[in-house]
Amino acid sequence: MNTVSIVKYYLNLILAYSTYYVQYAIGMFADYPIEIKVAATVSVLCIILIIIMSVSLLYLSHQKSKKRKLQSGIEEKYGKGMDYMFTSEVQKQMSRQEIADVFGINWNDLGKAILKNKREKEAFVDIFYLRFITERSDFANRENITSVLYLFGIPEFLEKEISMRSMRKKVRYMSMIRTFKLPISPWVINKLLSSKFLRVQRLAMYSNIMLSSDSDLDYFETDFFDKHCCIKDEIELAYSLQRRRKAGRKLPNLARWANLQKNERSQCMFVRLMRRFEELEYCDQLTELYKTQLRKKKLIEEISRTWGYLHYTEGENLLIDALLTQPDDTKVAIMHALTRFATGKGIDALLEGYTNTTNPHVRFEALRCMYNYGDAGKALFYELEKTASDDDRRFFDFFNNPITLEKIRLDKEQAYHPSVETIYNG
Amino acid sequence: MWITIYYIFCYLVFAYTMVLMASYLYLVFMSHRAQGHISVNIPDDETIKYFLQGSPLTPAVSIIAPAFNEEVTILDNVNSLMNIDYPNYEIIIVNDASTDRTMELLINEYKLVEVPYDIAMKVQSKPIKRVLKSTEEKYSKLVVVDKEHGGKKADGSNAGINVCSNKYFVCTDVDCIIEPMALYRMMWLVVNSHRPMIGVSATMLMSNGCIVEDGRVVEAAVPNTMIPMFQQLEYLRSFLISKLGWSSINALPNISGGFGLFDTDVAVKSGGYDPTSMAEDVDMLLRMVTYMKNTGQEFRLAQVPKVCCWTEGPGNVKTLCRQRIRWARGLFEIISNHRKLFFNPHYGPIGAFTLPYIFVFEFIAPILELVGFLFMIWLIITGGVNWDSALILFGMIYLFSVFMSFFVIFFDYSAKAVKWENTKMSYLKLLFVTLLEPFIYHPIITYCSNKGYWQFISNQTSVWKPIQRQGVKKKKQ
Repeated sequence: MNTVSIVKYYLNLILAYSTYYVQYAIGMFADYPIEIKVAATVSVLCIILIIIMSVSLLYLSHQKSKKRKLQSGIEEKYGKGMDYMFTSEVQKQMSRQEIADVFGINWNDLGKAILKNKREKEAFVDIFYLRFITERSDFANRENITSVLYLFGIPEFLEKEISMRSMRKKVRYMSMIRTFKLPISPWVINKLLSSKFLRVQRLAMYSNIMLSSDSDLDYFETDFFDKHCCIKDEIELAYSLQRRRKAGRKLPNLARWANLQKNERSQCMFVRLMRRFEELEYCDQLTELYKTQLRKKKLIEEISRTWGYLHYTEGENLLIDALLTQPDDTKVAIMHALTRFATGKGIDALLEGYTNTTNPHVRFEALRCMYNYGDAGKALFYELEKTASDDDRRFFDFFNNPITLEKIRLDKEQAYHPSVETIYNG
Repeated sequence: MWITIYYIFCYLVFAYTMVLMASYLYLVFMSHRAQGHISVNIPDDETIKYFLQGSPLTPAVSIIAPAFNEEVTILDNVNSLMNIDYPNYEIIIVNDASTDRTMELLINEYKLVEVPYDIAMKVQSKPIKRVLKSTEEKYSKLVVVDKEHGGKKADGSNAGINVCSNKYFVCTDVDCIIEPMALYRMMWLVVNSHRPMIGVSATMLMSNGCIVEDGRVVEAAVPNTMIPMFQQLEYLRSFLISKLGWSSINALPNISGGFGLFDTDVAVKSGGYDPTSMAEDVDMLLRMVTYMKNTGQEFRLAQVPKVCCWTEGPGNVKTLCRQRIRWARGLFEIISNHRKLFFNPHYGPIGAFTLPYIFVFEFIAPILELVGFLFMIWLIITGGVNWDSALILFGMIYLFSVFMSFFVIFFDYSAKAVKWENTKMSYLKLLFVTLLEPFIYHPIITYCSNKGYWQFISNQTSVWKPIQRQGVKKKKQ
């Protein structure tokens, strides 16, 4: 008897026994009421599920220990080489042979595949990636690290895996490609862009901006950010554009994108990015947005900050006009912008900001802006201090205490970082 | 006529049980689906850290920890908070007029000095006496708020909210041990959400049995004593099945007061914590949901599937009962205070599904179980039990409960929710309590819930007593 017929024989046997016992159970419960039949069925199902989970647990545990064993083998074999690559401060470009020596690979094996199969490659790239993001020193030569990946055939492996079906692997390996900054084939990008999963599409789009020399945000539909904008988009865009800038490529016109958006959240994102990438030349394109979207207080806040940070002094009059009509948070942003300009025109506006409100936060920020405005502002500040009522004196205490004063000064440098802007509470 | 009533009652209870089991299965299915989503969307901790730590756009967080008479543990706990790995956070310790040396220890250890303050009382709390900051740069994250005695954690948390200057705050207890990567895990959900995230719930487990070093859990283990062991299993089931399942349809009903992240602005606008409430965490979350829905804003609530925080739970039956009676009273209070949300689709999936589920299956279940137990005794006395049928029905319930616990162990293993020091031993212990839970632990909980309801109805005042801490094991040097 061959193996197939043995398997068939046992399968038939199992089927026959199962049928017999199922029929036996049905017969046994035939006279019972429906609720007992249901209870018996549920019990049997629970037992089956518990057995399935137990077997799966054992299988998973076995797989895990196998993987661990493989990884420790790789670590043992190539760990020292990785240590050298991630911590060495050698700046020169190493040859293939030199890298092979570091990893203890025989020169005769260089033409062949060093890692034998998919599992070994998976284990290697997992360890390499983890060590890359946690242990790599700032001085490690990135090009040498990339050469190591090529030596072990990792770029082809990653591209191949991405083209497979597993979503988890697509996302994981695509992120690795970006982290290692490996070039990416257009067919991979196109394949991912046609994915029905937003997460994959998004990854492809950001990878494209970061890694290819294609033009900026062309892959994004204009309403993409309106529909799906989240904080991570901003972080991704910032990283990707930073990379483009480093590589000497052109950055997109972010003001145009801010104008194309309808959602306040995505408009704010592009305005913030303009500030980050110092796109002063496009600041005038925000004027129309500022005039027409005065009700969007977050947007107005961001535009004010951006103009202030980029010293777009043409916008100063607009800011002064809007100051008293805006909500408190926006007022604070406008006052900070005027302080950044420090042209002398904004002093009166700051004084109005201080006097025309009962909100202590706004009043404090107005004083802070005056304090940081320059000589004219400081003079006004001291004058106000002299004439301050007992109730208002509490604001000035912050400027006389070394700890809070330090923070006030520190904030002057970082005045446009939202998380450190409010120090009012000491 | 009695026979008819008897049959109707029996069939109703049977139908109730089946629907309850179906809803559990639904939650199992949803959490399983969420796990699939997590495996794609939530990378490992190192990748999250790599992505977020270098970006100035990573949102800042304030950690608020109210303290009252914590002189024994306060320094360890503050050090534990200082050890959290996150690029941009501040720690606000709110001293609720401790009568011991808590404040003195803090001042001496961290070189604290008074700084001017002028805090707008955005949410109600007892007046603040002074605000202190360290003169040393390395402790610049620390803000200590000394306030008048409010007597409740909610009051201290509100004072912290008034002082906090970041968009998000985390509310915790000073005796909680926070996982170093906890904030990264929580903020990953925030930065990935398309809708404004107003709350993130963290998975919490019992620290009883764990080994702690420098304010960190270095060896996670299932407790060795029975009561904490049962609770460990219960916590795992609650966070990894129930809350994760509900969060996948944006219907998370509770963010634990032990460790939960909130949007400061929304929390302030909905009034902060209510110091008079017995379940201030659920109460605030429901008010936040009400606020968002009434103002027509979109929002998201999420659950972190990995353990973020360890807390010491009751170590004996007496303390456990006290805690569960308080929880039962809190549940009753929530149901009476927020009744307009129940069965109300205007409040989204929380109003339409979660709160009705809580009412029907969490609130009523202990009452029904007590009635069923008394009914069973009466049937035994009168000889009216069909033992074959009773055993089959009991077998179904028992096997289903074992299946649920088994699933959570399976989930924990496959999703790597907890890194147990000795995985096999931990799971064996959990499997052991899984088999015993329906006989020992569940009856205690049912008793406590009914007692809590009775205390609430009969308007008995309860004095809140903190859990007696037995302390966690420290690693031998």
